[in-house]
Formats: sequence, C-alpha cells, structure tokens
Amino acid sequence: MITAARLGKRYGDKVAVDDLSFEVRPGTVTGFLGPNGAGKSTTMRLMLDLDRGTGETRFDGRRFETIRHPMREIGAVLEAKAFHPTRTARNHLRMLAAGSGIPATRVDEVLEFVGIAEVARRKPKGFSLGMAQRLGLAQALLGDPATLILDEPANGLDPHGIHWLRDVLRALAAEGRTIFVSSHLLSEMSLMADELVVVGRGRMIYNGGVDGFVRSFTQSTVLVRTPSVSMLVDALRAVPGISVSAEGADGVRVSGASSATVGDVAFAAGVRVHELSTTTASLETAFMTATGAAEEYVAQAPAGGGE
Amino acid sequence: MTDALRFEWVRLRTLRSTYWLIGSALLLNAVIAVLIAWLEPDDPGRDLMVAAVTGGGANLPVPMAVVFLAVLGVLASGHEYRYGTIQPTLTSVPRRLRLFSAKLLVVGATGLVVTFLSIVVNVGVTRFFWSSLPLADPTVAGYLLLGGLWSVLGVALGQLLRGVPGALVVLLVTPMIVEQLIFRLSYAPALDWLLPAVKFLPFTAGLQLVSAAGEASGGLASEVGLFSRWPSGVVFAVFVAVTVVGAGVLFRRRDA
Repeated sequence: MITAARLGKRYGDKVAVDDLSFEVRPGTVTGFLGPNGAGKSTTMRLMLDLDRGTGETRFDGRRFETIRHPMREIGAVLEAKAFHPTRTARNHLRMLAAGSGIPATRVDEVLEFVGIAEVARRKPKGFSLGMAQRLGLAQALLGDPATLILDEPANGLDPHGIHWLRDVLRALAAEGRTIFVSSHLLSEMSLMADELVVVGRGRMIYNGGVDGFVRSFTQSTVLVRTPSVSMLVDALRAVPGISVSAEGADGVRVSGASSATVGDVAFAAGVRVHELSTTTASLETAFMTATGAAEEYVAQAPAGGGE
Repeated sequence: MTDALRFEWVRLRTLRSTYWLIGSALLLNAVIAVLIAWLEPDDPGRDLMVAAVTGGGANLPVPMAVVFLAVLGVLASGHEYRYGTIQPTLTSVPRRLRLFSAKLLVVGATGLVVTFLSIVVNVGVTRFFWSSLPLADPTVAGYLLLGGLWSVLGVALGQLLRGVPGALVVLLVTPMIVEQLIFRLSYAPALDWLLPAVKFLPFTAGLQLVSAAGEASGGLASEVGLFSRWPSGVVFAVFVAVTVVGAGVLFRRRDA
C-alpha cells in the first residue's frame, strides 16, 4: 500500500507537481497516466526521496527514509538505462544486491525470471531498449519487494514484450504486491492497469478504475442518416441539451442524446431514418479529452482539441 | 555502513576502468623510476632517488600517477550521474552521507594501497641500478599521503559537480594552468601582492608533500614564499576537507 499525501515540487516559478494525493492499493496494478511533462517522473522521484519537495509518501505506513533496505521493500526503476555500459548485467545486480544485503544467488534468479540470463555476463552497452527494460525489471525485483514503482516500463518493448510485461505485472499483483506503473499511453495502461491515477500539469485529473475513466471522459455520439437532413436538424435543435453537426450530405452527428431519444424525435417529426448508430470515442480520445487542457507541450493545434 | 562499503567495493571491482587506471598509474611510475635510474646509474643524489620512488616528486606540475587515482575517485561519484545509476544506488543504499562516506573510504584506501604498491614496484625496478634507497625519507610518507588525498579529492569533486567532465577539468586545469599562472605572475613586480596568497594555492601546496628538500619550483620553499612540507600538506588537506564537506552537504540537500 502506497499513500502519497500532498506531494508538491516546484522548480523556481514552475510548478511540476501540484498537491497530489493518491493511494495505490496492493493486489492491483495501478497505472500512472499523463502526457509527457505532466510530472509523472517527478512524482515518482518525490515518492522515492530522490527529489526534495513537499508532502509525504508512506509505504505500508512507513516513510522511505525510515526503511533500512528500501530495495527489499520497494523495487523502483525510473530510467530505462540506469547502468554502466561496461559493467555486466550480472555485476550490476550483484553490486546493488551487496548494498542491500541480498544474497548473490538471487541475481541469477531474477535474470532468469526476466529472460535475459543468457546475456547476464555481457556488457549492457549493446542492449536494446527492450533488454534494458528487462534488466530494469530484474533490478526492481531483486529484493523481492512488496511494492514496485516503474516509470514507463513498456517503453521500447515490442508487442510481445508488452504482453509479457502485462502478464508479469498482473501475476505480481495477484501475489498481493502493490504495483504503480507510469505511461503516457492509455492503450498500454488499459491493457495493464486496473486502477488509474491520471495527471496533467502536475495536477490530479482522475483517480479510479480504468472503466470509470473511459466512461467519464468518453462522450458517445449518435450518427443518423436520413434523406431529410434539414427537417431532422430542426426537430433535434428544438430539444434542449442536444447539439448537432453535419456529417456528409445525408448524415447528422448528434451529441447529448441517446440513440433512442434521437429515434423518437425523428419519429415524432415524421422523418425517415436510414441509419441510426452510436459511436463511442476511443480510449485515446478519452485520454486526450481528459488531459487536453493540461497538455504541457502542444505541438500545433491549440490545447483543448478533442480529436 | 558495512552494506554501503560492500556496495562500493563491488562497484569498484566490477569496472574495467579501475584496472586500467591502477595499471597505468603503476606502469607510469615504474617507467619514470627506470628512466631516472638509467640516466643516473652511479651515485645519484638523495633528491633523485626520492624522485624516482615517488613518481617524479615535485618536479612536475601534477604528480602523474596520483592523477590516475584522482580519476578513479571522480568516476566513483561522477559515473552515478553520467549513467543515471544514482537512482538504483540510492534505493540500495538510501542514506546519502553513508554512501558518500563509503565511496571516500573505499577509494581513499585503494589510493593509499596503490601508492604504497607503486613505491614497492619502484624500489624493485631501481634495484637493478642502485644498491640502497632512502625509504625512511619523509618524502615517501608525504607521497603516500598525497596519493590518499588526491583519491579522496576526486570522489568529492565528482560528487560536488555531479559528473565526470567538470571534475576532471578542475583536477587538471587548476594545478597545471591556474595555479602555475598565479605562481609565475606573483614574481612580476606589479603583481607582488599575489605573493602572500601563493602559499595557499592548494595543489601547489600539496605538491610540497613530495618535494625532496622542501624545495619548490627551483628554489627553497621559504625563498619562493611557500610553506615547508608538512604545513603545506595541511593547506592541501584543508582544501580537500572543505571540498569533501561541501560535496557531502550539497549531496544531502539537493535533488539526486
């Protein structure tokens, strides 16, 4: 169980993390989602006492600084390639094991577990990003910790690797561990996570289940095709709360009403309908809607754009 | 603290550059010793003998082999930032001052051992030319101290500047260019107000530890305005201590 309370961090005038409080429960995978620059990594660094800021994080009720061997309780990977390029994967882990009083035999176990045992004695400078991520996970699991904090662990993994990572994280969660994983891709998170903490510009946007997030940030629209577009539009405009836009020559896109309502309105107005269908916005759209206004670096379109 | 020391010891042992640096230091010193002995096989003065054992003594702007030990120290702390390993390191050894102390201790001790080994090797290689060596000379003890201090200074600078390049620049440019310049400029009549400061130039002062006759840059220490061996050693040691304390305080306070 991780309890983060009122985390805050500013660099000069710029607020990187703004009064973030959340809980990460054991037994589930909690995704930490936000666009690039939203403050995810800074939050994780604050949690691990790497950065000096405000607020407090407790791991099973204890503050990081009071834990004698954090590696045995919290496995953390914040950067994909946090190793010396010419120190072998095995030696890298042996070094960390030595500092935490973890037996050296555990090193080979975790390397085996993440599937890079055959390159254990190789220098990691030639590792692909995927192999580096696996070494990172091995490092996080070294102390058999009850809590895992991983920053973008799926970055650089191929679809097979992402699938594997998801299975591993789910299996670890099923063992009762607390797992906190960041990503800037909702599609990745929707595969891996049960719970979500969504941030934008250092602020909390959403905290709850993945389904709930999708539901509250996806707006369903109804597409109607009819030979009498103008009649239908006039009829729909008369209903409060409904907005209408044209979709091709014979189509109308309706938001703010269910397909049943739209069908009833059309029937009452005596309009013939050729098609009536509901469209639910994709996960990515939901994410963009949720974080759009909080985007840190907007490329071209102005902030707040849905599509 | 034991865990931190074990961490640091494994860190040092599992890096190929450790062996390169130590090997280079030993080899370079041996070559200097052989050259001196070869050029002066008969009846060398005490100064020459001492210089041969201490890798050239105070005749060079920086004691060559000792620079390699300082680099060893710079890598100990600087690599953590160069390769982003500071995060896993601090998860393994969370107490920052404990980690920093372990680095200072392990690298400092390694520096002392290597310096000692170098003296032994140099005695060995000069045996073919000379029959006896003044090993009890205070210069030899000064050399050991210098080796230890430079190693520790390397760790502190790498930590203070959080990286390798900056620390190397400070380590090489300060003694070879900045201090040399100030030292020489102080002879100019218009700049004679620099003279009192010269004895406090840290690296120049440190070099007096291996100066055979309390001699510095062509003249006796008192004539060129320097302290003699041990007071100069204290100046350098204080400089190293201040750097260590500064690095430790900032390490504790700053974002990792």
